[in-house]
Amino acid sequence: MKTDFENSNWQLHALGDHAIVFSLEEKMSEEIISKIITFKKTIEAFHFDFIKDLIPSYHTLTLIYDITLFYQNKIASENNQSIIQFGNFLLTAFNIPSKNILTEKTTEKNTNILVEKIIQIPVCYDVRFGIDLENIVLKNKISIEEIIKIHSEETYLVYCLGFLPGFAYMGKVNKTIQIARHASPRKEVIAGSVGIAGMQTGIYPMNSPGGWQIIGRTPIKIFEKDPTVLGKFSAGDRIQFYSISYSEFEKLNEYK
Amino acid sequence: MAIQIIKNGIADTIQDMGRYGYQHLGIQTNGYLDYLSAKLANFILGNNVNAPIFEIHFPASSFYFTSNYTICISGANFVPVLNEKSIPLHTPIEVKKNDTLQFLKPLEGRVAYIAIQGKIKEESWLNSHSYFAKRIQKGTSFEWESFTSLSNLILNKKDLLTCEKIKEINSFVFSRAPIQFIPGPAWKDLSEKSKKVFLSSEYHIGIQSNRMGYPLKGALLQLNKPNQYLSSAVTRGTLQLLPNGELMVLMADHQTIGGYANLGQIILVDLPRLAQLSNQTSIQFMETTIDTAHKLYQEIEKKFIHRS
Repeated sequence: MKTDFENSNWQLHALGDHAIVFSLEEKMSEEIISKIITFKKTIEAFHFDFIKDLIPSYHTLTLIYDITLFYQNKIASENNQSIIQFGNFLLTAFNIPSKNILTEKTTEKNTNILVEKIIQIPVCYDVRFGIDLENIVLKNKISIEEIIKIHSEETYLVYCLGFLPGFAYMGKVNKTIQIARHASPRKEVIAGSVGIAGMQTGIYPMNSPGGWQIIGRTPIKIFEKDPTVLGKFSAGDRIQFYSISYSEFEKLNEYK
Repeated sequence: MAIQIIKNGIADTIQDMGRYGYQHLGIQTNGYLDYLSAKLANFILGNNVNAPIFEIHFPASSFYFTSNYTICISGANFVPVLNEKSIPLHTPIEVKKNDTLQFLKPLEGRVAYIAIQGKIKEESWLNSHSYFAKRIQKGTSFEWESFTSLSNLILNKKDLLTCEKIKEINSFVFSRAPIQFIPGPAWKDLSEKSKKVFLSSEYHIGIQSNRMGYPLKGALLQLNKPNQYLSSAVTRGTLQLLPNGELMVLMADHQTIGGYANLGQIILVDLPRLAQLSNQTSIQFMETTIDTAHKLYQEIEKKFIHRS
């Protein structure tokens, strides 16, 4: 069932009877997530009606399919193809872009380089919001000013979304401000809270229980139910935080 | 012209086949816990088989009808009573204005469905009516646009084939044959001893079960490596091994990704069977293949086509 694909490190595995998962080396790496996102775009360009979801996450891309529609599809029915054979076909399409199975449009995109989109997010690192800043000061022997400088200096890559609608797992956080999540989660973290958990940082899109160490809050809505808006981030996006004052936060506050 | 909730249940919602196409944004799919019983109730009424429907847990909500409807109850038997008179499952029931529907006790199964003939008059969100983190609440009411359908006629004429199909699907959902799964990415990381233990032991559902997941109580399992994986997408039916050695089956309200050992996935047709298991009943697990799972799925799908 598992296939070591020619000339690449891709593996293909069934995830039950309505999903398959393509995976690369299990590592949090920019190169790997870039490949995953590019592969996602390659598959999307085919517009297969039986694909219900394509979920990228760190080193995997999971394809959820409709069983009935899969067997009605030409590719499956004409070649009597199984879903695993179909998965291998997609890998071929991705790995050998010169073959005619790809449309020209897809070939162009298939370059393993992500089109970078940097999203700027304002954060108020005031201690009234950054309720765990003191923890990092004590544990990491670093000043609040330095934490803010280091956190907002980096550009972070979104490796996946999950936990809550719109919750993006971003990395990598500089070693000097890394801190483990709380041993037991808080009952409620306020929407917009920016937290750190190990080498990852993220924003709570809504009020929720949560264990991340909270260092500030953004006044910007990260997730909206409006179908034309939804989440602000996708895997592969780049995010940069910039520091704002308490009064600027009040002015920009979208949660009022 | 509505159905009113007059008493709160513990976890009652409206569900359909779920919300797909948005999991990459972290949006859960939700959907029926037992898609077969849900489809069955819709099928009997001549609705679209994937139509939104009330999903009922016990203790259940109570309902009040402000106009006439045709309804059908399926899945768990919570002893439904209409104005205190017992009514059968899997049967179109004419309810009249001012009727009340209540559920008395959990006789068999965990999840019941109430289908209403017609079409719900409620806006969907991202192409689905499935609820998440919200329950139907006392004081709220739901409107349905009724239509009469041929299926009543089919049933009233005691169409043998249709009756036979209903019986077959329902007895399948409540059958106790082993639950079939397809090994997942972390199956290879399970110790040889644990693989044997899992395939030969009996498990039952823990009391902490809810729409997000069903914990399995029984023999603990062990990995050959630390239970730490980079998070990756999970599905309904994912068998997760928790760090304490216990198993958890992810159900309809599961999160989109997970970082625990992914031992395998329960096949779609067997999820309703797991969803309906009582806490006392024990069950075994059996390995199967994609081919078998797809054949079973398609066979059952065919039953939901009305003979024209």
